[in-house]
Amino acid sequence: MKLEIGNFFVKKVKFGDVTKFSKGIFTINKEEAIAYVKEDQHITDCDIVITHPGDETRIVPVKEAIEPRAKVGTEEVAFPGVTGSLSQAGLGRTNALKGCSVLAVGKHWGSFGDGLIDMSGEGAKYTMFSQLVNICLVADTDEEFERHNAQKKNKAIRWGAHRLAEFLAKAVENEEPDEVEVFDLGSITKRDPEVEALPSVVYIMQPQSQMEEKGYNVLYYGWDLNQFVPTLVHPNEVMDGAVIGASYMCCSSKFSTYEFQNNPTIKRLYKEHGQTVNFLGVIMSNLNVSLEQKERSIMVASKLAQMVGADGAIIGEEGYGNTDADFIGCIVALEDMGIKTVGMTNECTGSDGKSQPLVTLAEEANAIVSCGNVSQVVELPPMKKVIGELESLGRDGISGGWESDEKLGPSVRPDGSIIMLNDSMFCGDHVCGSSKKTVKEF
Amino acid sequence: MKKAVLYINQFFAGIGGEEKADHAPEIREGLVGPGLALKTNLKSAEITHTIICGDNFMGSNTEEAIAIINGFLEGIDFDIFFAGPAFQAGRYGVACGTICKHVENTFGVKTITSMHEENPGVEMFKKDTYIFPGGKSAAAMRKDTKKMGILGDKILAGETFLEAEKEGFFVRGIRHQVWREDGVEAADRAVDMLIKKMAGEEFVSELPIPKLDRVPVAPPIKDLSKAKIAVVSSGGIVPVDNPDKIQSSSATRWGRYCIAGEASLKSGVYKTIHGGYDNTVANANPNVVVPIDVLRKYEEEGKIGKLHDYFYATVGTGTAEGEAARMAEEMIPYLKEAGVDAIVQIAT
Repeated sequence: MKLEIGNFFVKKVKFGDVTKFSKGIFTINKEEAIAYVKEDQHITDCDIVITHPGDETRIVPVKEAIEPRAKVGTEEVAFPGVTGSLSQAGLGRTNALKGCSVLAVGKHWGSFGDGLIDMSGEGAKYTMFSQLVNICLVADTDEEFERHNAQKKNKAIRWGAHRLAEFLAKAVENEEPDEVEVFDLGSITKRDPEVEALPSVVYIMQPQSQMEEKGYNVLYYGWDLNQFVPTLVHPNEVMDGAVIGASYMCCSSKFSTYEFQNNPTIKRLYKEHGQTVNFLGVIMSNLNVSLEQKERSIMVASKLAQMVGADGAIIGEEGYGNTDADFIGCIVALEDMGIKTVGMTNECTGSDGKSQPLVTLAEEANAIVSCGNVSQVVELPPMKKVIGELESLGRDGISGGWESDEKLGPSVRPDGSIIMLNDSMFCGDHVCGSSKKTVKEF
Repeated sequence: MKKAVLYINQFFAGIGGEEKADHAPEIREGLVGPGLALKTNLKSAEITHTIICGDNFMGSNTEEAIAIINGFLEGIDFDIFFAGPAFQAGRYGVACGTICKHVENTFGVKTITSMHEENPGVEMFKKDTYIFPGGKSAAAMRKDTKKMGILGDKILAGETFLEAEKEGFFVRGIRHQVWREDGVEAADRAVDMLIKKMAGEEFVSELPIPKLDRVPVAPPIKDLSKAKIAVVSSGGIVPVDNPDKIQSSSATRWGRYCIAGEASLKSGVYKTIHGGYDNTVANANPNVVVPIDVLRKYEEEGKIGKLHDYFYATVGTGTAEGEAARMAEEMIPYLKEAGVDAIVQIAT
């Protein structure tokens, strides 16, 4: 399977008469873009706000991030099964606007899995999204049924952001990209002997699927991962829009669509392929709640790894707490089969750092890359500008915020300064692989 | 100048060896024995007092020893507390750990000690105080006190974020996130680790598996029809006004709510504040999480002896293991006092 990604390096985004890309500057015709988003009648109110790295801006509640992408020379969509009908992802040419992302931001209302981004200052280091030009779709919807629920599907805003991301990337359909990246990985069984002689590796992804009801979980070609058994997936599919992020999950643990599209672990394995390892592909698993579902997924995922002949595996979980059972269970199953495994996760050690880092552990899990600690308390000064609504952090059940606390006070203070847990830094633990954090003993 | 206190045993005070190990605690002004070595490495504090205690006295009369030393310390001002170094002397190591743990908890000042890695005091107290890996014998006095002094200066300078690996003390099971100085991303760390693991080369896990704290399964109730049963749930069911302000995730608070005489939990009177699951069904019928309706029926039918007058609630999503253990410790006295024989624990 061969995928070409045509990269357009965006340094600045501004509004103007015509939506276009020229010399590093991407211009958006705001009225047109808003009109396109509003074709979905569930969007009752929407605005587009641009913010650049270094701006004294705080964005909250952020529900999703997407790199603008569009397929080239075809009717196929960038997110099959989501922004349009099904087509095979991971093939052909896709254009990408690099260095920027479209953010789905609630105009008022936050939910459990939403996060916060500071574009400058101390808070900026907590998420890599502070380093991107962010095109914020700030919207309200008619989804009254969930307006005051902590758990929200956020469908209209998330779909609006996916559609906007594709709409923007369509503008470079006929342009020459600054760079073309090629991702070419053929059939597992027909490889050169030199490649087959190398240790074979699979990447097992455990995206979020804990909600029994449809609409909250990660989607694979639009299919909810809750009702799913692990399957073999081509890495190009993951990077080319076959997988979109969930609404559910405490935010620092979350895999946004942007991080599926730009998965650093897949990219590094591609780089090592044929040099040090034989990269077999991705096993897409899930993270369900009941024990039988956990055991089924562990069994099927580890068996798939064994069937394709993996000598080693990297496994990453989108979550902590309950999901640690799936994560550790799968590591144990793989190690029992003799497949050397490295796990990628974050930790939950409590405010004093003394709690057991994962709810379950096993001696077989002897190779872990730790990407952050959800429990860290973060205190940040006010920002000049807020995109979204700051009050949502304390008011709406965002996992790392609170309305009041006898010791720490409210998350959102009258002067605009905040105190929260790292738990809700937008995708801040970057378990897909871009985390520069680790966890140490003190 | 800040003030420091040092704890040593009878041997290092020059009082005597084994025959003097019953020496009762005493306090002296100024430096004694190892204090001289520590002084040269501690720049920001003066060692104003030395406490001396026989190792057997501390080991056999621990409560009394602590009470006496407590009395000494209440009368003086000090900013930091040192003990040892204890090298490979087992009883001395345990004594240093015991007193450091007590001083840290009672006076809220940081405590530092040092002992050889095989000293039993390491495993017993490494979570309660800073313990440096020390030499086997007093030949290491200068080296060991140097590490203690350097850390003491850092603590007195107000440094709070002290990393075990960098400073050199034993890990204490206190874990916090840091930004790697080399900026190497997790993906690269994972692939590099896997390549090493597959090649049989050495690698360092970023999460060493700590000793697992397993709770044994309780013995079964012999006669359920005589047993008093209580419900403890992490499903977040509370009275609608959430009187204990339990957080919807990462909870640190819990509540107990009276259900005496109630046949079931009524919607509108109780609701869930749990942030981690779809609340619709639980709000419409709180009994699906805290099944008072069914338990009450069991009580009437004589299947269980009695339903406890209160149920206990917190929220389990994102709640740290340490917080959960503390909340359990706080609930247990109420359950014991009421003579509860068994609890039904309901997660969501």
